[in-house]
Amino acid sequence: MNADSDPPTTPPERITERPTDRAARWFYRGLWRFLVDWLRVPEDRPSLPVEPGQFHSSFRPAEGFLRYLKFGFWIGLTLFDGILAITLIVIYVASPIVGLIVTLPMLILMILPDIVAYVAIHLRFDTTWYVMTDRSLRLRRGIWSIHEVTITFENVQNVKVTQGPLQRWFGIATVVVETAGGGGTNADPHHAGHHGMIEGISNAEEIRDLILRRLQHSRSAGLGDEAHLALRPTPGFSPDHVAVLREIREHVRALAMS
Amino acid sequence: MTDPPLDPRFIERPDASLRTYYIIVSLLSGPGIFLALPPFMFRFYTLRYRFDDEGVWMSWGVIFKREIYLTYRRIQDIHVTRNLIHRWLDLSSVAIQTASGSAAAEMTIEGIRRPEALRDFLYQKMRGARGEPAPHVEDPADDEALVLLRQIRDDLAALRHRQEPRQ
Repeated sequence: MNADSDPPTTPPERITERPTDRAARWFYRGLWRFLVDWLRVPEDRPSLPVEPGQFHSSFRPAEGFLRYLKFGFWIGLTLFDGILAITLIVIYVASPIVGLIVTLPMLILMILPDIVAYVAIHLRFDTTWYVMTDRSLRLRRGIWSIHEVTITFENVQNVKVTQGPLQRWFGIATVVVETAGGGGTNADPHHAGHHGMIEGISNAEEIRDLILRRLQHSRSAGLGDEAHLALRPTPGFSPDHVAVLREIREHVRALAMS
Repeated sequence: MTDPPLDPRFIERPDASLRTYYIIVSLLSGPGIFLALPPFMFRFYTLRYRFDDEGVWMSWGVIFKREIYLTYRRIQDIHVTRNLIHRWLDLSSVAIQTASGSAAAEMTIEGIRRPEALRDFLYQKMRGARGEPAPHVEDPADDEALVLLRQIRDDLAALRHRQEPRQ
């Protein structure tokens, strides 16, 4: 944890010593081994089948997303622990003996959820993967329940970029790719159907333009149109027709003049 | 990854581990097991799949029978969800969305071993996953209107040439 990866508020319990840093790293690595071996969390990044030489990139949310999550964490921690501390003081004032008894459980209650939440934030960040190819998009997230969405650009209807004030502060944004079909957005944004969320990336505009460029290549409406129907020539005149028609007009005009 | 490629055409029934999964889920609901288990068991014993060249069909139910058929090309997105129990049993739930109005998945394929293989199979069949034929495959010689127009032009040109020397 270097200084600039921490939230802008000065965290009261910031660890700066090297040995604790190392211990944290070892702890985290051990936790990962446990997740991989016992909870069967896939260790490798997701991928999409592509022909060799084609564009394939897998990436994670930006560092700013981690900072954004941690910022929320510190706010929650301050509120939660503040309320507990005030409660403890009130109990002490009311009855010092009861206060002494509840001090230890209170301290555990103050510290333990924070550690769990902090580790969970890191795990969430490390298990979120986005894969993009020329043709499709695959998003994977989750630890307890691993959720993975695959969408081909051929089916995408629109692309949204959303950014709140806090996200702007951390330089991240969310790109939402939507396919045809209704509902879902107000239920559970991560798991509901018909859209994929590329959350917390720093180059949202770039990704959006990349996806839009892919969409423009597609000639179908993205509603399951069959290829041969989508590619059938549109009725009307092509530039070739018009060119020949002009020549015909020239000939007819010349004939009429003669 | 030494397994042979999955051929879903041979899949007709969910794997037996799906029953284990249903039992575990029912057990986790505590006293609700008596309510949860029978529907799960009905579902497991009546669940049938059929993967053909164009689409996938599934049916289940004893009292209320349900049948769904959808074509691969109508698939909009594939959602693969694997919770902890799924992962221990090497199962997954593969939800397939089409462009219908509901947020819930149109079809949830459960109880298939090696979900990655099934997912990749469905992905390959999805529209846009592989190269569609290039948009301009058409040979200009096949365009009948253009051919006719060219003939008219050539005839007119010939007519004009015949007229011009006379002047």
